[in-house]
Amino acid sequence: MSRSYLFIPGDVPRMLQNLDVFDADAVIIDFEDSVADHNKDEARQLTAAFLKRYTFHRPKLYIRINSTDDLAHCKKDLASIKDLPIAGIVFPKMNVERLKILESLWAKPIDILGILETPDVFFEVLSLAKNPHVKGFLLGAEDLTKALNIDRSQDGKELLFARSQMIFAAASTNIEAIDTPFTDVLNEAGLIEDIKQATALGCTAKASIHPNHVAFINNAFTPSQEAIKASKRIIAKSEQTQSMRFSLDGKMIDKPVIERARKLLKRAKDYGVL
Amino acid sequence: MKKYTSLDALLEALPLKDGMRLSFHHHLRNGDGIINPILTKIDALGYKDIHLSPSAIFPSYTSIETLLKKEKVASITTNYLNGPVANYLALHGSETCLKMQTHGGRARAIIEGENSIDIAFIAAPTVDKTGAASGLYGPSACGSLGYAMEDVAHAKLKIFVTDHFVDAIENPQIHHQHIDYLLILDSIGDARGIVSGTTTITRDPIGVSIARRAAQLIEDLDIIKPGFSFQSGAGGVSLRVTDYIKAYMQRNAIKAKFFSGGITKYHVEMLEMGLVEKLYDVQCFDLEAIKSLKRNATHHAISAHDYANPNNPRRIIKDLDVVILGATEIDLDFNVNVTTDSFNTIIGGSGGHSDTASDAFVSIIVTPLLKARTSVIKTRVNTITTLGKHVDCLVTERGIAINPRRKDLIAQLKNSRLDIVSIDTLMQRATAYTGHPKETTHKGKKIGVVEDRDGTIIDTLHAKE
Repeated sequence: MSRSYLFIPGDVPRMLQNLDVFDADAVIIDFEDSVADHNKDEARQLTAAFLKRYTFHRPKLYIRINSTDDLAHCKKDLASIKDLPIAGIVFPKMNVERLKILESLWAKPIDILGILETPDVFFEVLSLAKNPHVKGFLLGAEDLTKALNIDRSQDGKELLFARSQMIFAAASTNIEAIDTPFTDVLNEAGLIEDIKQATALGCTAKASIHPNHVAFINNAFTPSQEAIKASKRIIAKSEQTQSMRFSLDGKMIDKPVIERARKLLKRAKDYGVL
Repeated sequence: MKKYTSLDALLEALPLKDGMRLSFHHHLRNGDGIINPILTKIDALGYKDIHLSPSAIFPSYTSIETLLKKEKVASITTNYLNGPVANYLALHGSETCLKMQTHGGRARAIIEGENSIDIAFIAAPTVDKTGAASGLYGPSACGSLGYAMEDVAHAKLKIFVTDHFVDAIENPQIHHQHIDYLLILDSIGDARGIVSGTTTITRDPIGVSIARRAAQLIEDLDIIKPGFSFQSGAGGVSLRVTDYIKAYMQRNAIKAKFFSGGITKYHVEMLEMGLVEKLYDVQCFDLEAIKSLKRNATHHAISAHDYANPNNPRRIIKDLDVVILGATEIDLDFNVNVTTDSFNTIIGGSGGHSDTASDAFVSIIVTPLLKARTSVIKTRVNTITTLGKHVDCLVTERGIAINPRRKDLIAQLKNSRLDIVSIDTLMQRATAYTGHPKETTHKGKKIGVVEDRDGTIIDTLHAKE
């Protein structure tokens, strides 16, 4: 489980070299939007050379390939990454139709984080979530709001349906629901508010386009010490009473609450705060 | 106090002679407007074998290069230099020419007569009729005059040079009994060069990453407690560390006892937020710091002697809990170089680096591990500015190393979640990317020495090849 997914351009040596120092749980090396057409070959070659030479246990590495709409680049991307030690690909503009095209192009299956950034896909997400190769969704709010011809707002209400649809579908098959990056790079207060919305709705992680956002994201998606303490008490009482239904501090505790406490403690352990 | 409005007339009245030692301070930084006209006139008058003791030399101090070219300079003793003078010395300096001191060491050497100054030319932003001076007012205001105070107190002749002569100054920084001559000029400086206005918190992701680790290290060392003391300077990464510490102090309602050294608007902000009791300001880095000295009674301008003279038992930095410092190079014994690059180019100097590292309970070096495709960690630094025995922690984006001498810190950090490794391991992490570049060796002739704050010579400076 990753809390933070950091996009870095695949054609910038300094960013590649430092991909493991920003504390992101996962890094998405981009071959798509942040790389100009004339630099895409360079991004592929640079990334391949770098990842063949250096091994990373952390962060998990993904590569955002070009969409199947840009078939020539997409094919070259798939060819260039086939032997690289990556966790998977990030697939832009995913929908059922494009996923089929992708599956017809790859030499062997690969795990996919699909970007949801076209209006149609939000009516197909349940079907996509059931695809065994799809390990998560990533909300692409910039392209989505462009397609809807609306502006992004500070409170993000225009994204409520998309976020919720993504989260519900992801939760149905227990895959990742990764919130969209916050693009106002210097607005820390706005970022914190944006992350709050993502965590409140049920996103499991958040993407970022700037390394300085990673610490905020990790912090928000890491269980707090108060939550850890409360969860420990729930588990302790459950074990002590050998019961899945009891009262604690005047609140009724039952099986879902106990399971949620266990999950929280597992996350806390995974993130090294337990 | 004899008053002059002409530099020529003043120089005619002074007992100038060959072999004299002249001093200047650097509070007007690259906007200084007195060093060049004074040295140009002294050159024209034909004096030679001049010993120069400016507290620092900035790129605009070109008259010094002219004197060097004419072989009229017997020696230069300073704390920091870069630009044309530094470049000239690195190419053409003679063995006895350059002595690099620390800020505290300079104060000590002046007070103890080791640097016996014949004439101190003190750029004074405001002087009143009694001969009192202040750096807070006037068109060339620079704030604290901390590095000039020992020159004023101990030089055989003291001369104020000002462009702002007033009837009276309230709370002067220098009192009238010290002064022998006053020279009033149209201008003593260019405000644009006096305060750079570039002291900003870094947003560079690598710098932010380093700063976050440094702040966590300080937190894990349990240093941020009520009444703690801190110095960070004006570097972007150091200021980012300060910003993280500020947030921690706010979250935990902690008030520091003092911040010291060069002061910026960020330190002032924390003073005015009630997060720190006092600022001890030896040098203002921006306009807000200057304004604060006027309005905040707990923002104190202090002398280099009070700041860092190692033989002053009441020096401020003796009580410093933690200092954040930079490094151009650091070696496996934790020696730090901020004086030269690997080609022997002189790019700075200690300033207060060695002073504060020596005195602070914990000294922390913050630097990227990889700089310009090379490792910041060398087997041996090109020049030792600060001895490794005074350097406690190295914080980089790829890990933290603690000096093995500090067993207490290592023990305290045993449960820290920070990535703490040996400095050898950190170097290996760097060379995994950079390979093992051939390290340069000193082959050029000797052009000077690095003197630690107590007068010990700790390294030699060599010419560029």
